Amino acid sequence: MLHNAFLLAVRSLWWYRGRSLIIILCLATTLWGPLTVRMLVNEFQDEILQRAKSTPLIIGVPGSRIDLVLHGLYFQSALPQRLTMEGAYYVRDTGFASAIPLHVRFRTQELPNTAAAPIVGTTLEYFEFRRLEVIQGQPITRLGDCVLGARFAQQSGLKPGDRLLSSPRNAFDLAGDYPLNMRIAGVLNSSWSPDDDAVFVDLRTAWIIEGIGHGHQTLSGESKEQLLESDDSDTLQANASVLPYTQITDENESSFHFHGDDADFPVSEVIAVPKDRQSQTLLLGRYSSVRGSSAICVKPQQVVHQLLAMVFRIEQLFRIAAGLSAIVTTVLLGLVIFLSVRLRAPEMRTMQRIGSARGTIALLVGLEIILMLIVAVCVSLSAAALTQTLAGEWMRQFLF
Amino acid sequence: MISIRDLQFTWPAGEFCLRIPSLDVTAESAVAITGPSGSGKTTLLNLIAGIHPVTTGSIQVADTGITQLSDRGRRTFRLRQIGLVFQSFELIEYLTVLDNVLLPARISPVIAMTSGLRERARDLLVRVGLEQESARPVTQLSQGERQRVAICRALLTDPPLLLADEPTGNLDPDSSQRIVEILLSQVREHCATLLMVSHDHSLLSQFDSTIDFNTIQSAEPVAGGSGAA
Repeated sequence: MLHNAFLLAVRSLWWYRGRSLIIILCLATTLWGPLTVRMLVNEFQDEILQRAKSTPLIIGVPGSRIDLVLHGLYFQSALPQRLTMEGAYYVRDTGFASAIPLHVRFRTQELPNTAAAPIVGTTLEYFEFRRLEVIQGQPITRLGDCVLGARFAQQSGLKPGDRLLSSPRNAFDLAGDYPLNMRIAGVLNSSWSPDDDAVFVDLRTAWIIEGIGHGHQTLSGESKEQLLESDDSDTLQANASVLPYTQITDENESSFHFHGDDADFPVSEVIAVPKDRQSQTLLLGRYSSVRGSSAICVKPQQVVHQLLAMVFRIEQLFRIAAGLSAIVTTVLLGLVIFLSVRLRAPEMRTMQRIGSARGTIALLVGLEIILMLIVAVCVSLSAAALTQTLAGEWMRQFLF
Repeated sequence: MISIRDLQFTWPAGEFCLRIPSLDVTAESAVAITGPSGSGKTTLLNLIAGIHPVTTGSIQVADTGITQLSDRGRRTFRLRQIGLVFQSFELIEYLTVLDNVLLPARISPVIAMTSGLRERARDLLVRVGLEQESARPVTQLSQGERQRVAICRALLTDPPLLLADEPTGNLDPDSSQRIVEILLSQVREHCATLLMVSHDHSLLSQFDSTIDFNTIQSAEPVAGGSGAA
């Protein structure tokens, strides 16, 4: 019986396909909104929590804890006030944790098909900590080298041996920092994280981009003719030509140096990896008492939970709106179905006259509604999955 | 075949009252019913088919007292024993010709959808010359063809009683004649009983007998009736 009723319901839905399509689209649209938001929030929650869970502590200067954590995890929020390397040394000297300094201040120049990527200055411990491995080329071996995140490499088409320019801090300041023409040493494996979209350099290279370290040109060799203003027998005088970027080569690498104590050099934040739970507690204690005025130490997981609580509040508002919309849609669809049944009254009367029970006719109408609901749920799930795929990246950029 | 005694039927609103003291229709006969519009011919067929419950009186079809059956019993009896043909065909427009013929089996568990039943439906379509149209939607058929499909639907279970309510009312003379021939062949070849309402006097000579509806009705309340006006 059910098989026959199913066949009649399918034939009826197909015959009245215009009406069926409108009802299915209305239902699918009503379901799509909350479903998409739920899926995006879940994905966002998983992604951000996973990264936060894998990062035990982040140390930065006092200020917005959310900005600090998001900058340390995603390299994308507002730049926190700068810490110095002394912060990293302090952590290391406590013996409670290892310290991984990050200096994320500059971005690459935009390429034709690729947006600018954050340049992350760090130490080799970061790659081990995040389980990042060079799968193409070689690791960073000298100043001015960089390794590319997997997605950035794929999108930009850059490969080991190519060069990549950092973006100048101010394009109109001739006396300011010049872009660094970095040599691409390698490409990292894909980690499905913000690391895939970043460019990594040694911390000292990041300081060179910042203008803290510099090299000296030698007025000799092939470039001599272009660089000399005068060359009398005693003195070589350089001309005023301005090179558009700084480039570190095997020849000039040794001339690059830093003035001052590197403990005073800037970092944006420090990731602290405690040896154990007790060390973590002790380190947190130190920061809440001894160093509270100059630096803060936060648990990313806690901060992210605070952020998620905010997102969930917004989602709840959206749910209420979606719920109201669903009620209105249900009432309207109920009306449409009622009117549709009224229009089909002759057909139902025929079935009754031939010998069908009222229950069978109710089953037919019910099956039609259930079939439309099933199709609407499938359509809305597919649309939500498609939206999640297309809008996931956009949402992350929008949120951070 | 059909025995009606002291039948009285009143619509709930009370605007119409049908009273038939006595009516007998012999088995395996073709009987035409004539009478003015609104006199209650369709109502009588619906009462015999058990579509409407009678107010008082009795209707006996073969050995079954229709008036004693429950609503469910009347439906089952109708599906198995009675073939109904309507003036406006009453086909389901979203079904094909074959599926319309098979409709009684699709809407009730009383008739099992077997391969034999499908075969019978196809045979019926061959019999009425619509075998080529079996997969077409009924909306693509002419009026005469639609009525032939409706007749096939009525004959699906090979019912012993056929009730036809002005089946030729919307058809041209040639189509009307063909429809009557099909119905009468069921009576002759399959020993069925046919009760057909018709206004077309040119067709009446082909029937075994004709009932003038005015002559079987009573103006007064029938014996044992409730006396409703």
